[in-house]
Amino acid sequence: MRFSKKTMAAMLAAAMIVSAVSACGSSSGSTGTTAAAATSAAATTAAATAGSSDSGAAMSDSDRIIAAAQAGKVGNWGLGNEYEIFALLTKYGQENKFLSQAFDMDGFDDDSITLASAMTYNELGLVKNSYEGGYGYGDTVDIIDMNNEGVAMLEDNLFTTKAFAEANPNTVKAFVSASMKGWKYACENPEEAAQIVFEAGSSVSSDHQAYMASEVKKLCETDTNGNKVTDYGKMDENAMQQTLDLAKQYIKLDDSTAAEKLKSLTLDDIRSTAYWTDASVGKFDAPEKKDVSIQLKWLPQAQFMGYFVAKAKGYYDEVGLNVTIVSGGGDIGETTAVNNGTVDFGVTWVSNLISANAGGMDLLEIAQVYQRSGLVLVYKK
Amino acid sequence: MAVKSISKRRSAVQSVVLPLIFGAALITAWQTGLLHILLNTDEYVLPYPTRIITIISENTDKIMVNVWASVQVAVLGLLLGSLLGYLIAIFAATFPKFGSGGLTIVSAFNAIPIVALAPVIINWTKDVSSEAEVRSTFAKIIVVTVVSMASMSVNAYRGLTELPVFSDDLMKTYAAGRLTEFTKLRLPNSVPYIFTALRVSVPGSVISALVSEYFAEYVIGVGRQIRENILIAQYSTAWAYIVTACIVGIVMYAILMVIEALVMKKRK
Repeated sequence: MRFSKKTMAAMLAAAMIVSAVSACGSSSGSTGTTAAAATSAAATTAAATAGSSDSGAAMSDSDRIIAAAQAGKVGNWGLGNEYEIFALLTKYGQENKFLSQAFDMDGFDDDSITLASAMTYNELGLVKNSYEGGYGYGDTVDIIDMNNEGVAMLEDNLFTTKAFAEANPNTVKAFVSASMKGWKYACENPEEAAQIVFEAGSSVSSDHQAYMASEVKKLCETDTNGNKVTDYGKMDENAMQQTLDLAKQYIKLDDSTAAEKLKSLTLDDIRSTAYWTDASVGKFDAPEKKDVSIQLKWLPQAQFMGYFVAKAKGYYDEVGLNVTIVSGGGDIGETTAVNNGTVDFGVTWVSNLISANAGGMDLLEIAQVYQRSGLVLVYKK
Repeated sequence: MAVKSISKRRSAVQSVVLPLIFGAALITAWQTGLLHILLNTDEYVLPYPTRIITIISENTDKIMVNVWASVQVAVLGLLLGSLLGYLIAIFAATFPKFGSGGLTIVSAFNAIPIVALAPVIINWTKDVSSEAEVRSTFAKIIVVTVVSMASMSVNAYRGLTELPVFSDDLMKTYAAGRLTEFTKLRLPNSVPYIFTALRVSVPGSVISALVSEYFAEYVIGVGRQIRENILIAQYSTAWAYIVTACIVGIVMYAILMVIEALVMKKRK
């Protein structure tokens, strides 16, 4: 039982004066002291560590992670995005817990989260920049990078089902070929790519779109060790293996059948390099299926610029494909959409593909667009 | 006599046996895959009952932690909301001039979607405590409170004002004061209406507790587990929590029915 009777009583009392509570928006925790006092020890430690984090500048990343974890102020969105954070917390001997972070950075802004999850190309830009929707923190914030910490898991990929790939090998190769051509062009011309995405129905401002394109370019062209990558969409064996190993360790499934399956998965169960290899040298015939669709993981934004560029520049037409880009967002499950045939291709994180296959789906990664993790923890200096 | 016992037996058949047969048929169709064909889905998105039950039995401890978190929010929010709703109804019945107008505003709360209300309240109550668990639970209780307040105030108001014909006049001829009139006439008259309100707000409180968990900072609860598992494509586990949520809702409703039967029997 996580609640003492005292806590409950304090909460009920607090409920009675809810209108009064709403008025005092300034100092955090002032009204909470009654309730927090009742929960005793945990709260005291939390307050102590939270207090010590104010001493700022001299802190190392490891101190910072430990302090935030002890105070329960590490944020993540959950929903399958939390495994790298778990790996990081484990590395520093901390409990695998996080605060559920909303899809804005208000929690970071109001200090209820001191180490907030952010994608380099999205939330980090909003925190730093002062354009529309930004928080304007500029250089007063710094980051802890999952790649440098050795807990990177690969994110945006390109996948389909094994059955679709086997039945339509030329469609798959043609799609990979044209898409990677789109990614290459987008990374070489990020500003133009951002404009193309913006015109295709962007969910964010054109300034943020341009920022995003420049950051996504880095993820496509740099591997987890910081080396340059020139082959767009290449599946790096070591990075893929590290992702799978971390996934096996940190994805906790309640379904024992799925948990068993997860343990037994190998790289060959989740990806095939054959399609990308043939696609990169143009070795494919006319596609079996010409009208295909791709489900994005999120709203239309430069995160997916390669596909928008390939469509706008006519690269899909060149290989005889008619492509529909289906945007995601909210609770749309891209793995489910591809698995049940609503769409033919999808973009997801490798860890999400792994848990889907453990749960019984038969998905196959055919290209790895992001070569390093885009997840960072951002903090105020 | 004979006719009466037959009709009694028939009503027993209708209210117990038929639903049981329907339920058994549905579960059989589900387990044999017939349901999957009818609904045009696969055993992945709609797993077999046996698989769901296996997962529930293997994770009882974890499920109970989440059930307790959700039930706590639903019950506290329901009690608080119903109490506030009733007080609003008394106020409205006592001062009918602004009362009816005020009630319209309160009943408008009913129309606010929980998905819109929950994130707002969660942001709004961030200063309640430095402990995420406490402030999240608080915020979720407030969501349930707002939702259950509306149905109680509207129904209780009717119970307090729609009196049997001439009963009001009768009280006046006895020269009863307002307080006496309230305790002897209006309050007892409103009891059946309270249960009408609870029949709506008990399932409502469970639903709003589950939905508000989606947005809460502290990750716990049956609703949150449903969302987490669906998004990582663990449909069997998600279904285990969906079934759990149904059981929680049914048990709470059954408890209400028992209480209502006891109270109403006493009144007769």
